[in-house]
Amino acid sequence: MTHRHTLSSKRYCLDDISAVQEWFHSRQWSDGLPVVPPTEALVGDCLEWALLAPDHLIGVEPVRTRLITAEKVAINAVMAGCLPMHFPVVVAAITAMLQDPFVLHGATASTGGCAVLIVVNGPVRRELGMDATFNALGPGDRASTAIGRAIRLVLYNLLDVRPGQVDRSTLGHPGKLSYCLAEDEENTPWLPLAEERNVPEHASAVTVMAAGAPRQIMNEWTTDPTALLDTFVAEMKACMRHYSIWPGNYAIVVPPQLRAHFDAAGWSKADIRNYVFEHARVRRSEWAECGKGAVVGDKGEREHAALPSPEHLLVIAAGGPAGGFGAVIPPWFGRTSQAVTLAIGACVDCEV
Amino acid sequence: MSIEFLDPTHEDARGDFALAPRLETLSGAVVAVVSNGKKGTIPFFDAFERELVETYRVAEVVRMTKGNYSTPVEPELLDEASRWNALVAGIGD
Repeated sequence: MTHRHTLSSKRYCLDDISAVQEWFHSRQWSDGLPVVPPTEALVGDCLEWALLAPDHLIGVEPVRTRLITAEKVAINAVMAGCLPMHFPVVVAAITAMLQDPFVLHGATASTGGCAVLIVVNGPVRRELGMDATFNALGPGDRASTAIGRAIRLVLYNLLDVRPGQVDRSTLGHPGKLSYCLAEDEENTPWLPLAEERNVPEHASAVTVMAAGAPRQIMNEWTTDPTALLDTFVAEMKACMRHYSIWPGNYAIVVPPQLRAHFDAAGWSKADIRNYVFEHARVRRSEWAECGKGAVVGDKGEREHAALPSPEHLLVIAAGGPAGGFGAVIPPWFGRTSQAVTLAIGACVDCEV
Repeated sequence: MSIEFLDPTHEDARGDFALAPRLETLSGAVVAVVSNGKKGTIPFFDAFERELVETYRVAEVVRMTKGNYSTPVEPELLDEASRWNALVAGIGD
């Protein structure tokens, strides 16, 4: 029998599953959906799978110096429906969110109401049965939904990021329940997102981004890569006009029907990034056309780019096989928060 | 059959912040005011400053603005904190 560490969290005992659910909901320990009761056995299974001691420090929330331990993250992962094999992905995502460039407190407290987008790359996608095809941005496979939900429950219960408490979102968006997808690495010649962001080939990794809701585009009337990208660019410019003009990380999700045209023309992700960087620009005066004339001032001719650099565009291959659709996922608030990519199982503060 | 389960919260009893000592009087005090930088703070803190000076006889109000709405105040803005008797932080939308 495997030795198990003793868990230090407070214990409760109730008569039945209904009483457990009411206990969680009445304390705002859930997001409104039922939870899996985090028993010592289930939580221990997660820790054992990841080879983490309960008191292993995953990180420290930088504004309030909250310590985030493996035990507490595992409890919330179990509640979200995670299996033990999902837990290392949750740990990697939380670790990435705790890195300074992500600006975790601002991103999760802001009235802007973004969610944490998680993109998974590498062999772990297939091991967990993650499906990067049909309904890629909607509910689908068990792992994607549970991993995304675990992130939200960790924010709820370890950082008090509940609506009206630390979470001051005016509107929020549905991705705050779960916003996790895998990249469709098998059906594209493109480099995986994580590999482009310096994770070694064949390593599993997560990328986290403080992200607005996806904005769907459609163009099935051309095979010209530049025309297709003009549609994505138009949506980014619309976001800059209607929401925020400030540059930052944008993500675009490109399904197979559109990818086929890029592949036929020999366009890489880098080619796409360069085109979008050059073309996704608006002038401040355009704000006057959509009701924001009051803040144009004397800077109307100033040009604003959506991306600080081409590398700020995250190009993700995902989606079902048919349909000339794509999605633009905008940043929460310019470059205040930077997307962070981290290999699963990587130590971020180990000496090399 | 009963179910035993674990507490999912941080269980941190210390609280995130301790209250600063209260001042006995504002008269003659130096009070710093940190804005998050949103436009709504300007008229609000203008009125607040007048109230501090005219009603409470504050000697000096030090106004400053963070570089970003959503990140903590820059350490260099706090370099002179040792000469302040109080600091007020506020947001505005």
